[in-house]
Amino acid sequence: MRNLFNFIVKNVHWLLFFLLIFFSVLLIVKNNQFQRSKFLSATQEMTGSIYSVSSSFQSYMNLNSANADLLKRVAELETELYTVKRTLELSSDSVQTENMKLDSATVFIYQFLPARVVNSTVLQEDNYLTIDKGSDDGIEEDMGVISENGIVGVIMKTSPHFSIVIPILNSKFKLSCKVRYNNYIGPLVWDGKDSQYTYLTELPRHVDFAAGDTIVTSGYSAVFPEGLPVGSIVSFLKQRDDNYTSLKVRLFTNFNTLRNVLIIKNKYQKEQRRLQETINQ
Amino acid sequence: MSDWRIKQTGLFILLVFLQVVLLNKIHLFGCAVPLLYIYFILRFPVNVNRNIVLLLSAAMGLTLDLFGYTLGLNLLACTVVGFMRYYLLKLFAPKDLFASDEPSVRSFGKNLYFRYLSSMVLLHQIVLFSAESVSLLDPYRLFSRIIGSSILTIAILYAYENINFEGHRK
Repeated sequence: MRNLFNFIVKNVHWLLFFLLIFFSVLLIVKNNQFQRSKFLSATQEMTGSIYSVSSSFQSYMNLNSANADLLKRVAELETELYTVKRTLELSSDSVQTENMKLDSATVFIYQFLPARVVNSTVLQEDNYLTIDKGSDDGIEEDMGVISENGIVGVIMKTSPHFSIVIPILNSKFKLSCKVRYNNYIGPLVWDGKDSQYTYLTELPRHVDFAAGDTIVTSGYSAVFPEGLPVGSIVSFLKQRDDNYTSLKVRLFTNFNTLRNVLIIKNKYQKEQRRLQETINQ
Repeated sequence: MSDWRIKQTGLFILLVFLQVVLLNKIHLFGCAVPLLYIYFILRFPVNVNRNIVLLLSAAMGLTLDLFGYTLGLNLLACTVVGFMRYYLLKLFAPKDLFASDEPSVRSFGKNLYFRYLSSMVLLHQIVLFSAESVSLLDPYRLFSRIIGSSILTIAILYAYENINFEGHRK
């Protein structure tokens, strides 16, 4: 007994080593998109506030290009507003306006909330973003996040003042998208290499696609409305071993300089999900 | 006696801050990331209890995991390095070393310190990047990331150590 005890005391470093290895492997294995450790949400407030300080310094550097983007967006919206106003004016003159009036509820299905990116990674195989809006601002898990150029990702976890976004640049993230030209739908998957490119996979082999076509969201998931721009086709490769084509897609969002994002709130997301879940039960 | 504790605490905070705010965003040639926080593990005095070194290395890894949202990866790599440090020291430390010395160019000499440094860094990066790419295995990319990051990290740390050494000599 005494010998055994001595042996353990002598070799306690081995015990400690295997314990730590076991713990870390456990964390790596368990740590997927849906069952994040409780651990993170406790420390997220602290790491988030440190990141927001460091990003407020960095944001000065990008003010020029951010302003240019915003001005461009303002111009676009201005044009759109003008067109819509004009249509409304025209329709109010005619007699059949009663039928054409839009139900106010359908117009406001989607709401947009602005937020700022306080931390982001683009270099790893599983990247995450932190934004400075949280559950106190009405952010919930599974809301969509877009930038002024295209889609960014989905809210994965929230704390009172910060949220973590799982972006398209994460090998665990799949999003249903379609080719705008011919409406073929497939999952968008990142290969973990270049933050500018991703792949639209599982498209039928017999169809030809043209470089330069736009990829948009399919609207199947209730996270994003249909038709948000994602990227454009660069090239397509037919896989040897199966019956599918993959498209290489250049993303419209530049994750390296991403600073301002919009969060999409879908009023009926829960309702749609609940309905879809009833089928599976 | 408490001297090294204060030094290591300062080093811990400084390296975590540097790594999180600045270094994690550097990505030279698409493959090289400087991972300087390993300097914390390199720097323990030779006679510090190996269990303490192991636990503190693990703490370093866990802290970086919390900031990078990559739970477990850095913890795994730092645990392995913190554990192997004892054996690498046995291999590379000169025989006439004072037990309370920190491993440095001054106490080891240029040649031995370089070997100690590069084997620790290489070990760390091999474990880290292999664990990271388990889900998406691409040997060429894995290899280039390990080599690129190791070269960059070793170069920076070795240069820093030498500058430090020259500074002390004057």
